[in-house]
Parts: sequence; structure tokens; C-alpha cells
Amino acid sequence: MFKRRLASLISDCDHHSLPNSAHGFSSPRSIPSTKSNMASISVIESLRQQIASCEVQLQHLRQQLAEAERQRQQQCEQERLRHTTTTDPLTHDMNYGIADDFRSEIFAVLSSVGDEQPASRRWPLDYSEYKRYGRQLIMPEIGLQGQLRLKNASVLIVGVGGLGCSAAAYLVGAGVGTVGLIDGDVVEESNLHRQILHSTARVGMTKVDSAMVSLSSLNPNVKLVPHYSRLTPESAISTILPYDLILDCTDTPDSRYLISDTCVLLGKPLVSASALRTDGQLMLLNSPPLPPGDSRGGPCYRCVFPKPPPPESVVSCGDGGILGPVVGVMGVLQALEVIKVLTRENQHSLAPPADAQGPQSTGQCAITSEPTPDPPSLLIFSAYANPMFRSIRLRTRKPKCATCSTHATITSEALNSGSLDYVQFCGTINRVDALSPSERISVDNYAKVRMEVNPFTGMEPSKDNHILVDVREKVQFELCSLDGSVNIPFSTVSSTPGLGANGAGSGTDGVEQNWVSKLRRPPEKPIFVVCRLGNDSQLTVRKMKELGLDCGGRRWIGDIKGGLRAWRESVDPEFPDY
Amino acid sequence: MVSTKPAPGHFAILYFAAASTFTAKSTESLPAPVKARDLFAALEKRYPGIKEKVLNSCAVTVNLEYIDLDGDDAAQQDLVIEAGDEVAIIPPVSSG
Repeated sequence: MFKRRLASLISDCDHHSLPNSAHGFSSPRSIPSTKSNMASISVIESLRQQIASCEVQLQHLRQQLAEAERQRQQQCEQERLRHTTTTDPLTHDMNYGIADDFRSEIFAVLSSVGDEQPASRRWPLDYSEYKRYGRQLIMPEIGLQGQLRLKNASVLIVGVGGLGCSAAAYLVGAGVGTVGLIDGDVVEESNLHRQILHSTARVGMTKVDSAMVSLSSLNPNVKLVPHYSRLTPESAISTILPYDLILDCTDTPDSRYLISDTCVLLGKPLVSASALRTDGQLMLLNSPPLPPGDSRGGPCYRCVFPKPPPPESVVSCGDGGILGPVVGVMGVLQALEVIKVLTRENQHSLAPPADAQGPQSTGQCAITSEPTPDPPSLLIFSAYANPMFRSIRLRTRKPKCATCSTHATITSEALNSGSLDYVQFCGTINRVDALSPSERISVDNYAKVRMEVNPFTGMEPSKDNHILVDVREKVQFELCSLDGSVNIPFSTVSSTPGLGANGAGSGTDGVEQNWVSKLRRPPEKPIFVVCRLGNDSQLTVRKMKELGLDCGGRRWIGDIKGGLRAWRESVDPEFPDY
Repeated sequence: MVSTKPAPGHFAILYFAAASTFTAKSTESLPAPVKARDLFAALEKRYPGIKEKVLNSCAVTVNLEYIDLDGDDAAQQDLVIEAGDEVAIIPPVSSG
């Protein structure tokens, strides 16, 4: 059966590769240069796709092979046992010579000892597992029982980015039995400096598939479960329900509230981490995961951060930047916290909260425990601070928490029906649209201002007949900028008080006043404002007018629509895309 | 950022993430004592706009302990921040 499957896969691959090789490799010279350039791009693209799909197929085959080998091994073991036990005197006695009640007592004892292992197994772990996990098995914190708990556990990693990749690597390495992966994105080149499971060759592949390729080669014993779309309120309960513990590795406030709420409703402990620039945060939430209203349960995300940050203050890694090891260390700490929770001694199964027990319940119990000796805490990591780590003692559940208190208003019915709008709760940023069309110039027209020789006078295009203000932060300006532009970071602009406060731009800080007065001097020169994407530039134009730099309307001030991204797309494709 | 002892009669305040961006500082000393309920107003005076844009969604700690300032009847509104205390302003970070 496997042979046949393999043969069909191979013929699939052949089939895919034939037409491409005919176009791309056999006659590249006969195609004019632009066409051949496009053709080679499409060849590269299609090769990438083929590699990606073959890698996925290969990974499936590996899983099937591992499965088949395991079955074969079990069969051998059973046969061996059957063979040896026929002459075993104990078997003879158990079958013929012992009173029924005594026999059932012995069986009860035996079966309670080895719940996790099939009766036929000689050792509770596979032979290869002793070797693979040996270094952690010999630690008292883990031991055989701890390893079995890991093996029987299932965790869900929501978000396979910087946090999710490093957390997943260590959890899969440690032998957690089942690991689910959720992400709706594909791998981008700008992910690779920190998202360690992905690779250059897998740019364009879904993050979930890319991670599965890495993880299954790291440890083929772990069952990986892919979820290819973002978690939504409607899908949250059914997605999270089968798992014992959840890792929040996402990157938006709304997903953090959604995941936390769902974990409280379903009685799942949650390990939540985040990272931006040089800072990170880590919390073990809802642990112990007691039902809402039970004050002995661990606090949830809403207990710690009841109000979401204003949307315009939310900065993504794409805008704010992120140092790879910062997000890596937070993901590793998440994995550590998960291992600690899963291998904890005193855990026992409690029924999950009644209202969470849907008909689809798999009967797996949430991992719960007596109120833990460790009080809940928030670990703050600041890479450039001393000390780098601070541990904040959190309070227990908030008496008026909307999710986990007796005053809870968030229910699984509301969640399932989609009536809870997390995006709205966290707010959305309206695209900045602060200016009228006459205050804006397209990149193409601005290029003419800069670059075209005047056909009548033969005058060189001038960078000096206007002022170009670039409001990106200094570090970005230093990466690349347009010739002749002046850098006035948006943070400086926005912290300059307007006219209302105490006169025109006369902040308490001399530097801020400086940029305003410098721009006043040649009052006949128009001011063009540019930024990365075209939002901050509009707000800056507003501010400049507020400060009276437009000389009561006699001087033109406007922004360059779409910023440097539009400049790269329409005018200068070599301008760096960072 | 190096944690230093605040000047006499002052408490130390640490700004993390967005709070650090807004104030352009990671730490400073502020005059003590201050009632917890008046902390945000005192910061708003120094950094106009910070309450709305940053503080309202922040966790606040005094001597590494979370204090609940959410709502007027919150348990720790009357707590007094004394000289020598360490206060931290911790905005939620959501990226990853």
C-alpha cells in the first residue's frame, strides 16, 4: 500500500515538473530578455511551489512511516509476549488457579499502575524515547512520570511567528504528544531573522506547513495538527476545546482577549507572551483553570489588562521593529512554563466548567490542579535594562472581571454566536485621511518636480526650490533617504505643542522650537512632507499649518501620497524595501 | 536603564514599552508621597496626553506588586506611594 502511494506521488512530481522544465530550461535564450526575465521568475516561483509541495508530501510519508514502524514494533512485541507467556507459571495460575475476586483485585492494581501504557508493553516509553529524552528524563523535575505526562498532553500554539516558532521547537523537542499550530499567514523574507522554524526556501509557503516541515524532522514522534486560518470568535471554542493547554503567540490585542476569554470558558490554562523591540512579557493565566466565579482560579488577561490600548498606540513588529533574540527568549520561556505546568506533580482532572461541555467534547479533561504554590506573576523582560528581568506579583482574579469573576458577562453562547466583537472592542485605526486633494501630491508628480529638466529653459531640476521633510524616525532615515531631504522625526513633530498651548511651537524644549523656526526662514519655498507609508506625513502637514508655517495660506505645504513605499513602487524600484 | 535608588523624598518610576516611548525615558524620580489615585494626574501634568494614550490601559505596580486602579472604588486607590518606592508603568505589549 505504501509502495503504491509512493509511486503515485513520484509520478505526481514528474507530472508537475515536466511542463516547467520544457519552458524554463530548454530554451531560455530564444525568449527576449524581459520575457525571459519573467519566465525565470515564474520558473523560480513554480520550483519553489514544487519543493514546498514535495516537502509536505515527504513529511506525510515520514509520518506514515513512523506510524507503520510503530505498529510493526507493537506487533512484534505482542507476539513475543504471547510466545513467552504461554509457558509462564503466573499466567497459568491467573487463568486456572486463583479465586475470581483475588484475580480481579490484582488486575485492578496492575491496570492502575500502567494507565498510560498498553498492557503488552515491557517499558512505558518506546526504546527510542529513552534515548531521545534521556537528558531530561534523568532530571527529578521530569522523570518517567513527567515524560509520560508530556507524551499524553496536547497543546495548541496560536500564531507561528517569532514566539510560536521558538516555543514549538522546544515543546516538540521535549516530546509533547500533540501540538496544534494555528496561523493564517505565509512566510515572508522579513520573518526569517526571528522565526526560526521557517527557511529561505519556504518563503511563500504557509507558516503552518513550513513549521510542520521543520518540526516533523526535529521529532517525528510528535503528532502535529495544522489549523490554516486565524482564530475567530466563532471558531475559538471548537478549535481550543480538544487541547489541554494553550499558548498565545499572537500579535494583536483582539486575539489576546479572544484567546484568554475562550480559555477561561473552557477551563484551559494559558501561557501568554508578547514581544516588541527590546521588551517582552510573559504570564501564566487561568491557572488553576477553575470555572468563572471561583476566586481560587488564576487571573485571566482581562484581570491584568482590563482595557485594551488605544488602537493608534498599538505598534506591530513591522512598524516598531523587533530583535530576534528578544522574541526568541520569550517563546523559549513560554515553552518552559508549559513544561512546568504539564509535568506538575499534583495535577488531577477536574470536570471542566459545566457551560463549556458541548456535545463535541472529546472527553479529554482539562489539566487542573490545586491552587498552585506559585502566586500568579507577570515576567517583564527588557533587553537593555538592568536587571533584564522583573517579576511582578499579580493579584488573584479581579472581583469584577468581565470574564472570570462572578460578574462575568462573557459566555460561550455569546462567543459562539459571534455577538462579541473583539475587533471593535480593541478599536480600529481609521486610515489617516486628514488632508484635502490640493494638499497632496502623487509620487509621480513629485518625481517631475525633482527630476525632469524644464524643456523650455533647460534648467536643471531643482531640489533647492522646495524643502523636502522626511518625518520617519532617525534610524530609518539613516537606512535610506531621498537626496536633499531634511529629517524631522514624527515623534518630535507630535510632541511639539500646537498654537493653543503657549505660542507658535514654542515648546519648553529648545530643540522642538528649533525645527519650527528653521522651516520658517525661506518662506517662499513650498514644503513637501514624506514618511514611510503616507500617514504621519499627513498629520505633520496638519501640525505645520497649525503652527502657522504656511504663512496664512501663502505658502504651499503638502504631503507625498503613499510615502516612500509608493515612491519605490512607481518611481524608484531600487529604493530599499525594509 | 539601570535601577538606582531614588533621591530622598522621591520615588522611582519605571516606564516600559509604550510608556517609555511616550516619555522618552525609561526611569525617573518623582516627589513622594503621592496617593495612588493621584498618580495618573501627576503624570498627565508632566506628559500631556499620556493618560488617554498610554496610562488608561496600563498595569501599575508598586514595589513589584500589581495594584488595581481600575474604577473609583478599586481596592488600592487609597494606597500611598512613599519615598523610596519603585513604581512601574506597564503597558500591554501585544506583538509577537
